[in-house]
This record gives sequence, C-alpha cells and structure tokens, in this order.
Amino acid sequence: MLHNAGLTLSDGTTLNDLINRDMNEVSLRVMNDKELYEFEMERIFARTWLLLGHESEIPKAGDYVMRDMAEDNVIVSRDRAGDVHVMLNVCPHRGMKVCTAEAGNAHAHRCIYHGWAFRADGSFIGAPIEKEQMHGNKRSKEELGLKKARVHLYGGLIFATWNEELSFEDYLGDAKFYLDQLFCRTDSGLEMLGPPQRFMLPCNWKIPGEQSGSDGFHTLTLHRSLMEGGIMGGTAESIYDTAPGMYGVDLSVPQGHTLRCLEAAQTFKMFADVSFEGKSTEERLNLLPPPGITKDLIPQLFKNLSEDQVNQLATIPPQVGGMFPNILVAFIFAPRADGGASGALSLHTYVPKGPDKVEFVNFIFAEKDAPEEVKRDMLQNAIWNTGTSGTIEQDDADTWPQIMRNSRGHMSKSITLKYQALHGHERPEGWVGGGDLYPGFTKDDTQWAWWMAYYNLMAES
Amino acid sequence: MVNYATAAVDKASVMRGLVSTKRVPLGSEIYNRILETLYDEAAALDERRFDDWVAYLETDLVYTAPLRLTRNGPNKDRDVVRTMKHFDETYGSMLMRTGRLAKSAWAEDPPSRTRRFVTNVRVGESETAGEYEVVSYLYLERSRMDNPENERLSAERRDIWRLVDGAYKLARREIILDQSTLGMSNLAVFL
Repeated sequence: MLHNAGLTLSDGTTLNDLINRDMNEVSLRVMNDKELYEFEMERIFARTWLLLGHESEIPKAGDYVMRDMAEDNVIVSRDRAGDVHVMLNVCPHRGMKVCTAEAGNAHAHRCIYHGWAFRADGSFIGAPIEKEQMHGNKRSKEELGLKKARVHLYGGLIFATWNEELSFEDYLGDAKFYLDQLFCRTDSGLEMLGPPQRFMLPCNWKIPGEQSGSDGFHTLTLHRSLMEGGIMGGTAESIYDTAPGMYGVDLSVPQGHTLRCLEAAQTFKMFADVSFEGKSTEERLNLLPPPGITKDLIPQLFKNLSEDQVNQLATIPPQVGGMFPNILVAFIFAPRADGGASGALSLHTYVPKGPDKVEFVNFIFAEKDAPEEVKRDMLQNAIWNTGTSGTIEQDDADTWPQIMRNSRGHMSKSITLKYQALHGHERPEGWVGGGDLYPGFTKDDTQWAWWMAYYNLMAES
Repeated sequence: MVNYATAAVDKASVMRGLVSTKRVPLGSEIYNRILETLYDEAAALDERRFDDWVAYLETDLVYTAPLRLTRNGPNKDRDVVRTMKHFDETYGSMLMRTGRLAKSAWAEDPPSRTRRFVTNVRVGESETAGEYEVVSYLYLERSRMDNPENERLSAERRDIWRLVDGAYKLARREIILDQSTLGMSNLAVFL
C-alpha cells in the first residue's frame, strides 16, 4: 500500500520546501534536480498511466510501433487475437533491444544479439539451438517473456502503466465526461494520420508539463502573433482590451487533468458575426461544428455521447488542456484563408529523457469517418500550428529551454514560480460535468491543480 | 550529351535522389545558373531577406518535409514516410510564415544566426520543358541567442526549379531530413 511519507532530498530539502502549498509557489529548482528526477521516474512515470499512441497505428496482427515510457523503451504491438500489448524492449538475456525499428510488422521479435525470440504478446518462444536449451534450466520459458505493462484503450488511444493497481477509471476520474467529447464521439473514432513528429528540447519535462495544465494566459503574449495574424479575432492593438480566447470555463480534477472550455458563441463571433441566441443544440452544432467534426458527422455525436455531453460540445466545448503527467490536448479551431476544413486535432506527450531533456512527441489526428479532403486539410492545419514547424508551438519550444537555463543559476533556482492568480472553484449555473470549475478569465487554478497532483504522487512512497 | 543516369532510378519506390535520367552536366550553363540560384537562395535565408526569398517561390509551390522512420528488414530503405510531415506548405502558407516573422514571432526574435551549406548538387531535365530536377544536400548550422552550442541539421532536398522570364523559380521542394527525432528545438527556419 502507498502511504504518504513525504519526500526529502539528500541535502535535507523536502517536497514542502519545493512546493509551498500555502503560498501557491514552486521553486524553480524542481526543473533542474537529478535526485528529484529519479523520484519522478519512480513515483510518477512508473506509477501512472502514460499515453503511447493510437490503435489505428497498428491495425493488423503483428503490427508494432516502438515508443518510450519515460526512458524505458517499449514495443507496442497487436497479436493474432487482435489484442494490444506493451512490453519493455529489453531482452531478458543480455539487455539488448529486441526490436530495432520504430515501426513494422512481425509475429516474432528475434533479438539480433543471441537470437532469443518473443511473440507479439511478449511471451518467450525460445533461444536458437533448441536441444542445447540456451535459456538455461533455472527459469521456465514462462518466466522469460518481455516485461509487460498493463494496457488500456480509451477512444483507441493506447495507454499503459507499470502500476498493478491503478484502474484507468480512477486515473481518468471526472475528466472522462469531458474527454469523451473529444476522443469517443464518432462511430469509428479517431485515426492517427501518420507516425508522430518527434523532436528534442533541452529542458525538463515539467516545463512543458505544467503549461499543459491549461495555461491559457500565455497565449496573449507568447502567441501574440495569432492575434496579429487575425486568427483569433481582433487586432494587435486590441489584444489586451478584448483578450480573445481568455474567457470560458477552466476545469481540473484531482488526478491533475485539466481542460479549457471555450464558449462556441464567442468563438463563432470571432469568425463570423452570427448569434447563437435561441438556437437548438443541433442548430448550433451545424452553425459551428466542433474542431474536427464535419456536418455529416453531427448525427454520430448524438449517438455516441450523452445529451449533456452533446449540449456542452455545442455550447462550450473543451478545446485545450492536458492529462497528467505529460499529455497536451489541443483540439482547436484553425481557420484557413482558403476556406479549407477548420480544425486541428493534436495530442502531445512530453517524454522525459533526463533532468534536462524532453522529447516532444506530436500525434496528429482526424475523425476516421471524415472525408479524405478534410483529413488532408486537418493534417496541414496541425502541421502549420503545432509541433516541429507549427507557428504556435515554435514559440513555446524556444521559451522552455530559456527557463531551463535559468534553473541552473545558484541564485536563480531559489526563485519561485507563482500560481497566485486564483479564481477558486465556482460551479456555473446549469453546469453538468464534475471536477473543480473556474469560470471567467483563465487563471492559475488549473496549473496549480497540476502541481497538486504532482505533489500528491511525489509524496507517496 | 552524356546520359548520367543515377542509381536512384531502380529505387524509384524509395523516392530518393534524382529520378531524371537526362542529366544536366556539371559545369554546363544551366547547371551553373541553377547552382548560383541555390547559393543566392541560401544567402537570402541566412541574411533574413524573406521578401527576396519569397520572390524565388512559384505560386503553385509544394514544399514538404516528410518524416524519417527507422525501419529494418525488407523495408529498411523505405524510411521516408510521406503520410506525416514536418512541413506541408503552399505559397499561401509561406506568405503566412514569412509574414509572421515580421511580427511577434519570438521563436526567431531575437533571430537565430544561420549558415546554410548547399553541396552535392545534381541536376536533371524534367519531363516539362524549362523545369529542372535539382537534388542538393543541405547542412544547416543555427546559433541561438548566446548559446555557444549550435543546433544543426542535415538533409537532402529534391527540388523542381522552373525557368520563368530568365530566372529560376522554386516550384517543388521535398526536404528529406536525416533524423527521425529532430535534434533542433523547432523548425522556425526554412530549409
């Protein structure tokens, strides 16, 4: 059983020194501490559910992709029965990678070093020269399979964990009501449009991690070029008067998942001056389909979601946010000058690669039942806005390493990050979903909730 | 003219290098003019003269950078994945991107200091008169802020340059990067 034993670093610094819960402050030191990083690997990344990909990447028996659970390299594969397995890509014989490709199809993975072979479900087949029994006689073949993680598919998204106890339902908590609206809303679900973009940033994983806790405020300044380009409505001069995209309902759950729900009426006003007043749910959805949804797909929303969920999607859809610890959700409107399909569906994982390195993995989706030309537009939208060359996220990727550099200074690392612009939980009238709700201007509440989820996991040993 | 067919032909399914079998020889007038254009283009980008750079682009431009994926066995050479890309650009999106660089594009403000080395240039005639297939290697060194360690990138570029009113204009570019996981923090620079 886990118990709250707190955490003390070798120099005597405690978790309470690093995260001041009375002041809502976090020491910059947390971004650059090798010892803390080791605790994070054990207490967070080996203990919670992690996103690895989508089942549309591995449709056929034997299909596999190589992914990382923090610094543990894993094979994600589909067996003959159609089940998805996740296992360490570490040969139990001498520690070599059993699989050397990033993707492919194989019914057996044979280690190139000594030839130990494993099925797509990770079970051990045998070593070459069967009569010599080169796997020895101390362990049975059943004991010599690849180390398996538990797997859960949610809306086709492949999650895995090393934790034997934590159920996916408990991990998701009240965020499910909202996330279903993004991941589980059509008959055939999402489709990943190709392998993820991958790139390395010289910063700690928590720098993008805490931002994925629904930091809406940074958009106004860091992503000022969005307003200058007119994409979010208004002009550069009116940015601080109109504060586009800042008002809505932010929410968090104790598990650390957070979302920003933005009023469709406001979003619509940015794009076309038409009122939502007095319109039914269906009329609203047709006036402004949620990002990634085409008019043809609207009947499917009613079929796959509850009435309350469809209502929310039509009036104040969740658009950006994150799932703890390292997932960013961006299901955003992306208006195009050429009138192409509006919307980009991206998920990122920020995969730790040491205290001062993080791999940014950008998964790009469309609804599987969307027409090909819509998928084509949405791929382009996602590439233009997110990931390696995305004009929004270029600016994030340049900012985070500068924070990292500051975290190295002897004086600088004692500076605290401030999460003191707080609204506090307030349930808007008629709101149906659960979680802590922060209506109005986007503030620090959700990011603080992210840190509290971090605190709680790090305090348990 | 000597036919300098390359080894790329029988690997057409892999789509690397030069496909044209009608080689434009090194040192010929056309080759020299195209090489000069590549150098001038690199200089426009390194000197951040983006309006000059846009002047090289044709309005039907297709500019892409597919993903590289590590593969093994029978597929080991089919490592260019064109379903997913780092760039997926049109002339319009290039105007958007270069226009942004003139405003609050913090990823390049302050700007990187860049040096584009263009080498191994091979030119072939394409099936359309006045269009040339141009394959080049690109090596980019990028110095960011006061960081003494550069970020760098190497790639092959498969272009179509079109002769328009006596000048060569870029109609197609496919950038085949060598890394499957990019070591560069972002692609706020053009390749």
